[in-house]
Amino acid sequence: FPGLADVSISEDIPVEGEITVPVGSRSPDEDYSTLDEPVKDTIMRDLKAVGKKFIHVMYPKKSSTLLRDWDLWGPLVLCVSLALMLQGGSADSKDDGGPQFAEVFVIIWFGAVVITLNSKLLGGTISFFQSLCVLGYCILPLTVAMLVCRLVLLAGSGTVSFIIRLIIVVAMFGWSTLASTAFLADSQPPNRKALVVYPIFLFYFVISWMILTFTPQ
Amino acid sequence: RHPLATFFHLFFRVSAIITYLFCDWFSNSFVACFVTILLLLSFDFWSVKNVTGRLLVGLRWWNQIDEDGKSHWVFEAKPMPTRAASTEAEARIFWLGLIVCPVIWTVFFFSSLFSLKLKWLALVITGISLQTANLYGYIHCKLGGQKSLS
Repeated sequence: FPGLADVSISEDIPVEGEITVPVGSRSPDEDYSTLDEPVKDTIMRDLKAVGKKFIHVMYPKKSSTLLRDWDLWGPLVLCVSLALMLQGGSADSKDDGGPQFAEVFVIIWFGAVVITLNSKLLGGTISFFQSLCVLGYCILPLTVAMLVCRLVLLAGSGTVSFIIRLIIVVAMFGWSTLASTAFLADSQPPNRKALVVYPIFLFYFVISWMILTFTPQ
Repeated sequence: RHPLATFFHLFFRVSAIITYLFCDWFSNSFVACFVTILLLLSFDFWSVKNVTGRLLVGLRWWNQIDEDGKSHWVFEAKPMPTRAASTEAEARIFWLGLIVCPVIWTVFFFSSLFSLKLKWLALVITGISLQTANLYGYIHCKLGGQKSLS
């Protein structure tokens, strides 16, 4: 193995991983064990994977195994809850808050797609869906911020509440950006990292802005 | 042989279409309809991809990312030497459901585009992409399986 001669694992990165057998060498009989598994197992397996990713976002550490099993359930749930909490907040909202809901949705997904395309065009090694997965999961701190902001707004909407909301939103924005760059920046060549981090910064900034300027009618 | 799987295969897709068509009867709120249809489409995508495909026709496709970060799309077909009448019927329902629904969502796309009900466009596009993804994945599996058997 010529490539392994200069591999060194530094002490502070925990070594973890999964030993997976490459697909080609699995015999068809072993395959039927997951091909015929009961549906409950499939559901539980996927739910656990989603839960693990949420925990990884809250405590980000460099882990490449997280990226390997991507799924978009977490981003879907976060996007829907964020959009639900953000509707009806603009000055010229119509009765049902419909347009705002669809707008938030489109901003989040379109923004994530654009960032992914940007990082791919800059020569990143991460795959399209992995990047969408990471960006979507890292919206979790901002969703928590939205929840807290709504609770604070129930108590009042003066200067004090604005300052509290500002602090919370800024903190969660920082957390989101740091979490997503911890996962995504590694896949870029070193002199391009800032070019990749900047759109992510902008993306979460726009979402934080929507959260901060939300005022219920 | 798998009546529950057959039922669920059609249930989510058809409910999504019915909810889209009759959402005004169910509720006045755009958001409730949007979220309901979105959830139905997502459950349909997951159940067709992970459950009904392998139970009804023995096909499966997924995305795998190996150590150096490259992603492969893997398409698998279970060799099925004997085909009983019931599995033929199930396979026919499977493919029918798989093909007809994306066509219906494409029709919705054009109808919402030309009637300028643009707020539904995001939902219709999502529906088309999810269902077409499953269709494409399974067709790929089927063609791949035939190639390996011949």
